[in-house]
Amino acid sequence: MKNFFRKVAFGIGPNEEVPSDPLKWALNQVNEIPDLSWQGKIYSEKELRNHYKDWVYGDRKVLRKKYKDDKTLYKTYKDLLRHETGQKFWESLEISIRHNEGISSQNPVLAKLWMFWGNFFAISEKDFLANYSTGPYHREVIRPNLNQTFEKMVYDVTTSWAMIHHLDNSESAGPKSVTASQEWRRRKKEPATINENHARELLELHTVSPKAGYTQEDVVQLAYIMTGWQHRWSKKKLETGNVWFNSEYHQTGKKNVLGKEYKSGKKSLAVVIKDLVNHPNCRDFVADRLCKYLITDEPTKQMKQPIIDAFKKSDGFLPEIHKAAIKVAFENNNKFKKFQTPENWFIQVAKIGDLQWPPSQKTMESYKLGTKPSKIQRTPEKILKRIGHHPYRAKQPNGWSDLSDDWMSPELLIRRLVYADRSYKFSKPENENNEFYEKIILKNFDQPEKILKYLFKNMVNRKSERNVLLFNHPEFLKA
Amino acid sequence: MKINRRDFLKTTALTSLYFAGFGAPTLASDGPKKNLIVIMLRGGMDGLCAIPIKGDKNFEKLRSKINLDRTLSLTTDFDLHPALKTFKRLWDENLSAAVHATNIPYTGRSHFDGQNLMESGGKVPYQEKTGWLGRGMKVAGLTGKGLALALPMPLLIRGVPMNNNYFPVGKRLPSRSTLSLIEQAYKDHDEKLLGENLKIIMSRGLKNTSSDDSWVLASNAGVELSKPNGPRVAVFEVDGFDTHAAQGATNGAHADCLSDYDRIVNGLKQSMSKEAFNNSLIVTLTEFGRTIKQNSSNGTEHGYGSAVLMAGGLVKKAQVHADWPGLKRKELFEGRDLNSTIDARSIYASAMSTVFDLDFKRIQKDVFWGENLQNLTDKLFKA
Repeated sequence: MKNFFRKVAFGIGPNEEVPSDPLKWALNQVNEIPDLSWQGKIYSEKELRNHYKDWVYGDRKVLRKKYKDDKTLYKTYKDLLRHETGQKFWESLEISIRHNEGISSQNPVLAKLWMFWGNFFAISEKDFLANYSTGPYHREVIRPNLNQTFEKMVYDVTTSWAMIHHLDNSESAGPKSVTASQEWRRRKKEPATINENHARELLELHTVSPKAGYTQEDVVQLAYIMTGWQHRWSKKKLETGNVWFNSEYHQTGKKNVLGKEYKSGKKSLAVVIKDLVNHPNCRDFVADRLCKYLITDEPTKQMKQPIIDAFKKSDGFLPEIHKAAIKVAFENNNKFKKFQTPENWFIQVAKIGDLQWPPSQKTMESYKLGTKPSKIQRTPEKILKRIGHHPYRAKQPNGWSDLSDDWMSPELLIRRLVYADRSYKFSKPENENNEFYEKIILKNFDQPEKILKYLFKNMVNRKSERNVLLFNHPEFLKA
Repeated sequence: MKINRRDFLKTTALTSLYFAGFGAPTLASDGPKKNLIVIMLRGGMDGLCAIPIKGDKNFEKLRSKINLDRTLSLTTDFDLHPALKTFKRLWDENLSAAVHATNIPYTGRSHFDGQNLMESGGKVPYQEKTGWLGRGMKVAGLTGKGLALALPMPLLIRGVPMNNNYFPVGKRLPSRSTLSLIEQAYKDHDEKLLGENLKIIMSRGLKNTSSDDSWVLASNAGVELSKPNGPRVAVFEVDGFDTHAAQGATNGAHADCLSDYDRIVNGLKQSMSKEAFNNSLIVTLTEFGRTIKQNSSNGTEHGYGSAVLMAGGLVKKAQVHADWPGLKRKELFEGRDLNSTIDARSIYASAMSTVFDLDFKRIQKDVFWGENLQNLTDKLFKA
């Protein structure tokens, strides 16, 4: 039963009580969205986007012109600009905030679900989004929606600056729009055409999934509805201006998606999203993804049905969907044990091993904009890259896989061996004794004596290798 | 010059449409060790950017912002992107070739479904849990002979046990005695897959302290592939071909990706023994091509037909093999994409038949469920 604490969260820390009613403990965490537990400074998305602006403007409009004939000077000043805009620091700060929520907050279950939705509506590695924007997008767009409806979440994600930029919607212009007939387009030979990228992913990844059987024409029609939703471009801010609806880019006329007609104009995006989230395939898709994340690679109909029912009954209210998923996870706790993804595993190592992780708020606060961050200040992004599971740097817009086989290879196993070993570097001195290991094993495993015997019988030469044994034990790898 | 499909077939001997049905079965031999290397080009490689058609005014007009201002010459009908320098060098030695206007039979334009299908070889996304290469290796009995140069194990190569992968972490492993204890724990818990992976880690000679630069990966793979008992199959990945905006032309985003591919081929060529390279085949794989027409962000959208690049000593000769569908609007797939007139799976089945010394029909039946594929072995590869 104790694996449930890792299945829906990150385990029990050495100084925490083991909840007597695990299901109640988990269900109670998903109603409200408390403030983040990180005590250090948290920067707003707009503030960080402003740094992004300084970076793109400074590089593109200033340095490239100024040093067009001197590659070396260009590189030198570009590196300085990186530090002036905090390019090498923000993502580590964001990961620290994220991990702290899993490790030290009162709502680790909510944190695990926050991570799920961040990956569901993934911003993959593109331009400098990971450096400046994906962390704040997770904090300001995904997290506040965890106690709202799925419909609102989809709308907020779709109109967020990060997603609009990620999926190129600013580049989409209706062939029958005001801008299509503008003189400059003729002169520059730039006819107005749609960019289908965002529309396709809104259907495929964010709502109904390909199982809904939409056609290429549905994608085009949805892209028409989405034309005009773009960043407000200006000479000073370039592509980093706020998202707005530019009616000049909007395709005029009625549109038809999945057999339903939509009027022209700004409001039709909300209307089509409402229809998409109420499509039966959307409910099934969300239930399937949640089950794959928490329970098993192959969810059964019986697992998905209570989640689908909760979705339908509550009109997509996320706390109800989450509670249904948690209950299904609880019911299937002993029968299905899920191989944990690398980031989940690493957070569990940090929490159960009581590591000095993430870097302390004091360490992160000591960063001075304009300087090169210290090694420890960059450790979070470096470790996540190394273990192959950096939440802001998925390779593609479908995010990271939840399937066990995708996380099984000699190299991925090597990462767990190496970083379990290196976790010892973050151990607190007071925990370097058998009593500590005894305590954490008792709190987190149903048959602690077996694991204790394994650990203490095999007294390895280097203390760090005790962590290798425990954190690579088959029972630890699965939950 | 502007060619249409009929002219092309008439005038280009290299690209004859004549398919003589299934070739005679090639049987297992005691000959030299042969290797198959697949480079996956993720995001949708623009075949017409890599290998543009010559002198098609309409094509040039549709791509006014992303036309190449400099190309390398391949044939009377096709040019080559200048980023593909190694490919061209090999071409001049009859060691590289391409198939154009080809793709897997998938027209849905979704990256994820498309990539799943390009790896599984199937027709229904996410239905198959193994890849066509893994199944081919299984038929050929190549257990423990696969090497993926990637951190995860690509679906493409799954389906045969004991595959290795190499993507060095840059750090040392825990001690051998600790690894043995973990091995025992996996055994006690009946964790077969974890046990197999650990066994590979403990028995291999690859250095974990190197870097994961593509040149390092290609060089290490080349050395391993050259060993008599080394892997017979290697898989690489290049990301970033999804250029919806700022695709670039001679330089730019798509050019950088083609360069990455070319660097891997160069790394392999430099590190493999002459005998190993002469007995190898390096082929590319992508989920789809891109639209003929540029969009207003100087990029291209998801399309259909693309090209397969091939290199190595088992390539029959320097040629662009195609059943050219034409680029007039009515000749395009759904009026927007280069059509695919050759099922790319025919190329891969023929490649496996050549490298694994297996009867084409057997691959067709056991790897691709008896689907209607053409045996291109004689046309594309040295038997």
